[in-house]
Amino acid sequence: MIKHKTFILKKEWLSPDIFSIECGPLKIKPTPGQFLQIQVNDSFDPLLNRPISIADYENNHLLMIIKVVGKGTKILSEKESGEELTVFGPFGSRLKLKNKKSIIIAGGIGVAPLYFLAKKLKKQGTVFTFVYGAKKPEDLILKKEIKNISPGTVFITEYGDKKTGTAVSVLNELDLQEYEIGYACGPKAMLKELKGMDLKFPIYAFCEDFLGCGCGLCLGCAIKYYGTYKRICEDGPVFELKGIEFND
Amino acid sequence: MIELFDLKFKNPVFLASGVFGFGLKYKSVTRTVGGIFTKGITLLPRMGNPPPRIYETASGVINSVGLENPGVEEFKKYILPRIKKINNRVFVNVAGFNIEEYEKIVEEIGDVVTGFELNVSCPNVKEGGALFGQNPEMVERIVKKVRKKTKLPIIVKLTANFCDPLIVAKAGIDAGADGISLINTIYGMAFDTNTKKLIIKGGLSGPAIKPFALYCVNRLKELKVPIIGMGGIMSGKDAYEFILAGASAVAIGTAVLRDPYAPIRIIKELNALLKKGVKCQKS
Repeated sequence: MIKHKTFILKKEWLSPDIFSIECGPLKIKPTPGQFLQIQVNDSFDPLLNRPISIADYENNHLLMIIKVVGKGTKILSEKESGEELTVFGPFGSRLKLKNKKSIIIAGGIGVAPLYFLAKKLKKQGTVFTFVYGAKKPEDLILKKEIKNISPGTVFITEYGDKKTGTAVSVLNELDLQEYEIGYACGPKAMLKELKGMDLKFPIYAFCEDFLGCGCGLCLGCAIKYYGTYKRICEDGPVFELKGIEFND
Repeated sequence: MIELFDLKFKNPVFLASGVFGFGLKYKSVTRTVGGIFTKGITLLPRMGNPPPRIYETASGVINSVGLENPGVEEFKKYILPRIKKINNRVFVNVAGFNIEEYEKIVEEIGDVVTGFELNVSCPNVKEGGALFGQNPEMVERIVKKVRKKTKLPIIVKLTANFCDPLIVAKAGIDAGADGISLINTIYGMAFDTNTKKLIIKGGLSGPAIKPFALYCVNRLKELKVPIIGMGGIMSGKDAYEFILAGASAVAIGTAVLRDPYAPIRIIKELNALLKKGVKCQKS
């Protein structure tokens, strides 16, 4: 069964427009990159569920990190602990984590699924570098938690008092020869720029988009991948960046 | 149990063409419904439209999937037998781009299904589709030709884009169709006010179109043929409204985007309401 009723155990604002929801009990076996479809409310406006990345999962507790971007996420942000939540999932293909020296590249709210990934990589003893960029210093979330997993994490923002730049600009300063695999999640512009760098190792992009059903039925979330259409919800959301054909 | 086209169906709730794929996932749902209208099948395989293919509007969804499907040959060989193992009541949604294609698809499938639903109302293709459904003469010609190719029930799937569904439905029935299913999605579009660009142009479905769908179903009541009503059914109560409007059975589409198990709930709710009163119209 992929339909679950769970409860919000904790809601916390992490930045002016980003909040986290911890819910449980929820018995699932998610892998990094997978997501849940959250039923926003009982009315039909918004009609569709909201796809939210799994930011962490441990002991039947799920962590979601959500940025308020529209009507659905606004309603979710108004929920409080104790409220019941109907969720579907987890959806998305199961990513097999390789034990190869990795680089994690996060842009903005794209950090959410990569935080879960970093925890898993650390657990299996994989060596990795975490690069995390955001617009402004206050947009950098989970800083302490990420430092705990990976003390050498490079944090950077486009605006602020310290050195400015983007996650991709940081890559230009690193010796990339030593990496064997990369994982990236962030705005489309970031993924495009990254693809353009033509790196020697494969990058796995965690794609985000509007979804219809989110569960492999409606063919609404097409992405062009190596010449054919794939479904983000079921064939992805993690795809090799090299194969993605961006449509704009 | 209901009877339509002299056939028995375990309940009057069907899966609408398109949104539930081929019913091979969530088998408990496919098994429970009265029957399945498959995803639109074309003569040749189709990749479908480029993204974006889906966009949410107030209580509705605009889609522009563009009939992505593996084509009739692969469908018949590999997919149809798998659907029939789960639920034997299968109507194949036939999407031709000209009259010959409707004939060829029906011929290729043969008599191994329950019946055919002729799709003359897809808004997401450049040729055929909804343009056929706006033209009663075209519908008459398609149905006449297909009628010669099959003895199985033929249902014409209509919507009401810029035309009166009663006139088109009459043309289809006079030409030999056994029933009508409606409504398919209605034309819709959305713009991005920041970029001033079109976001999507396609077919609108969901609760937003339910009142219009009810009106269309009710308009066809006088034809006294089986009508499969659909358009924004989210609950048993919605389904019951379609029965009251004149439908013999209903189909569920957009509701599964919100909950793939919705049809099971809708069947339970509708059965409870039907026990109280109105019966489904017999064929």
